[in-house]
Amino acid sequence: MTFADIRESAYMAFDTVRSNKLRSSLTILGVSVGVITIVFMVSIIQGLNKAFAAQIESLGSNTIWATKFDPSIGHQPTSEEIHRKELTIEDADAIRREAPSIVGVSPFYRKINETARYGDKQSDTPILIGVTSYHEFTTSSYVARGRYVTDLDVEQRTNVAVLGQDLVKALYGTEDPIGKELKIAGRVFSVVGVMEPLGSILGQSRDNTIYIPITTFEKYYPDIEFPEIISAIIVRPVSRAYVKSAIDEMTDILRRQRRVPQGAPNNFGISSQDALLDVYNQLTGATYLVLTAISCVALMIGGIGVMNIMLVSVTERTKEIGLRKAVGATRTNILSQFLIEAVVLTAIGGLLGLLVGELFSVLMNKYSPLPAYVPAWAIGVGIGISAGVGIIFGLWPAWKAARMDPIESLRWE
Amino acid sequence: MTEATIATSQTSAGVVAKPNLVSADGKVQVLIAMQNIWKTYDMGAEKVHALHGVSFEVKRGEYLAITGPSGSGKSTLMNLIGCLDTPSQGDYWLNGKNVSEMDDDELARIRNQEVGFVFQTFNLLARATALHNVELPLIYGGIPSAKRHEMAKQALTEVDLVDRMMHRPNELSGGQRQRVAIARALVNHPSILLADEPTGALDTATSYDIMNLFEKLYEDGNTIILVTHERDIAARARRIISIRDGLIEKDEQIK
Ligand SMILES: Nc1ncnc2c1ncn2[C@@H]1O[C@H](COP(=O)(O)OP(=O)(O)O)[C@@H](O)[C@H]1O
Ligand SMILES: [Mg+2]
Repeated sequence: MTFADIRESAYMAFDTVRSNKLRSSLTILGVSVGVITIVFMVSIIQGLNKAFAAQIESLGSNTIWATKFDPSIGHQPTSEEIHRKELTIEDADAIRREAPSIVGVSPFYRKINETARYGDKQSDTPILIGVTSYHEFTTSSYVARGRYVTDLDVEQRTNVAVLGQDLVKALYGTEDPIGKELKIAGRVFSVVGVMEPLGSILGQSRDNTIYIPITTFEKYYPDIEFPEIISAIIVRPVSRAYVKSAIDEMTDILRRQRRVPQGAPNNFGISSQDALLDVYNQLTGATYLVLTAISCVALMIGGIGVMNIMLVSVTERTKEIGLRKAVGATRTNILSQFLIEAVVLTAIGGLLGLLVGELFSVLMNKYSPLPAYVPAWAIGVGIGISAGVGIIFGLWPAWKAARMDPIESLRWE
Repeated sequence: MTEATIATSQTSAGVVAKPNLVSADGKVQVLIAMQNIWKTYDMGAEKVHALHGVSFEVKRGEYLAITGPSGSGKSTLMNLIGCLDTPSQGDYWLNGKNVSEMDDDELARIRNQEVGFVFQTFNLLARATALHNVELPLIYGGIPSAKRHEMAKQALTEVDLVDRMMHRPNELSGGQRQRVAIARALVNHPSILLADEPTGALDTATSYDIMNLFEKLYEDGNTIILVTHERDIAARARRIISIRDGLIEKDEQIK
């Protein structure tokens, strides 16, 4: 295939488009829709991935949770699981003492939707967390002003509270909350610190939180009522690379602490952000699948359109093919000319599709909360796929043209 | 026209005798050598022998007309000469090359290099300019575009149409279209110019112009083979081969 071939084919392609305007528009549209779907799909998923990765990142180092049962999304705990023994502060101490892959261990209780009140302002949504002094480091969420819960607070079960940014805004407005009083479910606490802003994960704010000493929590909430209240141990591995070994070490220690017989399944659950990532990937995987199916159908329709218009083009050009053969075109010449013609058609569709898809994702970023992002490779894939559709669906018509007998086709009227 | 066997050609099957085509100075003088050419169309139930045992030679620089009544085999012979088709039996030497056993791609190459076709219905690309039409054989000959332009312009000059080179066929008269087609046939400097009823679609006056053009091209040294059923057109050539029922009836030198 020479350059002259390509030029001659491009010329033929535009000729075909010109003389079959409606048909070629429909064909081009079909391919465009396919490519738009692909670009759009990729851009949304890539955007989500990016946003999700950023949120994971914002959680700080990769933490691991131990709970009395597996808390993964979509898992309904059985009554056996709910009645299991809670994880204890002793369990946490054992992990802290014995696990070399772990640098921070923090047992905690968490209660959702507790009421907090200051003066005449009240909030019913805060998450109340009973923590030890280790919680700050373990979860890489640090106090910004004042102080955090200390060992002394834990020892003496003091009524002190550290507030997240949302609560400061909601209850204190422009006032400085430090040293002020805070009523949690009617009990009087003293605010000793304010957290740095932590942002949100998966749409849930991490700043709507009140931290109190774990022992104070135990004092006021002696019964753990799932799902309102949970108890867990959160752990921080040395680094991301140690997640796996940290999980192994924790599992061993907890099995021993909770006296799980050899060979019996764990009577507790361990999850990490990686597990969260797995769930997320499952979700996007399904989305990918559905959108891939849609774009395949669209490309198929485009492809059949290409085949149809190419067959028309070949038939209309029968005499021309005969003439071209008479003046020296080989089968390969004719084949590649018609293939290129098909590819030009689909490439026009592909480029249009890319443009519209890109436009969609720009608009999406601007006017919707969903993030979208078109990576460079998606552009390549879009062009490649549309050209591929041209080749696959153009092959048979082109082959038909290439095999025509020159005498027969010259005689064709 | 139909016969059960092709007895006469059986003898030469398998043995290809190359005719003495070359003159003392090493130049191929016999441009076309047809040796006992058969063309049989297999129509399923019966076999149609369009040509049965045709032999003749054409030298470089000849001006030959092939005539005969409709259905006599003129077009079949013309297609063979132009390498659009291969004979069922017999050997065909064109410019020193045996083309009877060439495959499709080799034939395409021969057509591109050795043959210039002129058709009754011109066969121009409707949406291409005269220049582009003339360039077509050069495109398949792999000639780079600057050279192509130059050669095509030269050919259009020879047919006196260079001022119309950017016109499309529908902006040209019948005679002008045929002249574009002749320029296209000439552009590659082929060994033979092959014209099948070139005046069949033209009025008398225009036919006359076209025949004058062939005369001029003949005088310039081109080898021309003209297929026509019109006696007065054939009479413009220097030699006439008359065929009937797939056989040469008469091969006469005139003028
Ligand atoms: N493709 C073909 N298939 C079958 N028969 C053919 C074919 N081409 C030509 N013939 C037959 O061969 C004979 C010679 O045809 P042709 O060469 O076209 O004659 P002419 O050009 O002199 O009119 C005719 O009887 C015709 O019917
Ligand atoms: Mg005929």
